Amino acid sequence: MDMENQRRVKELAEKYPKEDLVVILGGAEAEASGLAAETVSNGDPAWAGPLAGVQLGLKAYHIFEPEIKEQVDPAVYEEQVSLMEMVLDVDAIVQEVRSIREQYAAW
Amino acid sequence: MELKGKKAIILGDRDGIPGPALEACIRSAGAEVVFASTECFV
Repeated sequence: MDMENQRRVKELAEKYPKEDLVVILGGAEAEASGLAAETVSNGDPAWAGPLAGVQLGLKAYHIFEPEIKEQVDPAVYEEQVSLMEMVLDVDAIVQEVRSIREQYAAW
Repeated sequence: MELKGKKAIILGDRDGIPGPALEACIRSAGAEVVFASTECFV
C-alpha cells in the first residue's frame, strides 16, 4: 500500500474508534488485496511506510465478499462492480482477504 | 458485520475496482465514507 494511504489510514484510526471503521478493498488480484488487508491490520509487511510495526487490527473486506456484496444495492453493484467480477479471480481474492482478516483483525 | 453506521476507508485499485465505484456501493449499504482513494497496486 502506498505511503500516503498508509498515513491517512493511520490518522483515521487515531481519529475514530477502531471498531467503527471498516476498510473496503477493490484490488484486482489476491496477493495485492491480501497485502493491503495485512497492512491495515498487522502493519506494513514491507516495513517501509507509516504503518510499519503498527498493528491497527482493522477489519478489511474485499467488495467481492458475499458479506459485503449482499449489503450493497444490487443495481449499484451491477453498474459499478459486476463487469470486473466476471474477469477477476473472485474466489482467490475472497479467500486471501478473509484469511488475513481472520488472522489479524482485532475489532 | 453490518456496514450501516460504519465509517468506511476505501482503497480502490485502478486495475480492479476503482475508488469511486467502491464508494457508490458502500454508500448504498448505509456506511459513511471517510476516505477513498484509487491506487495502482503494481
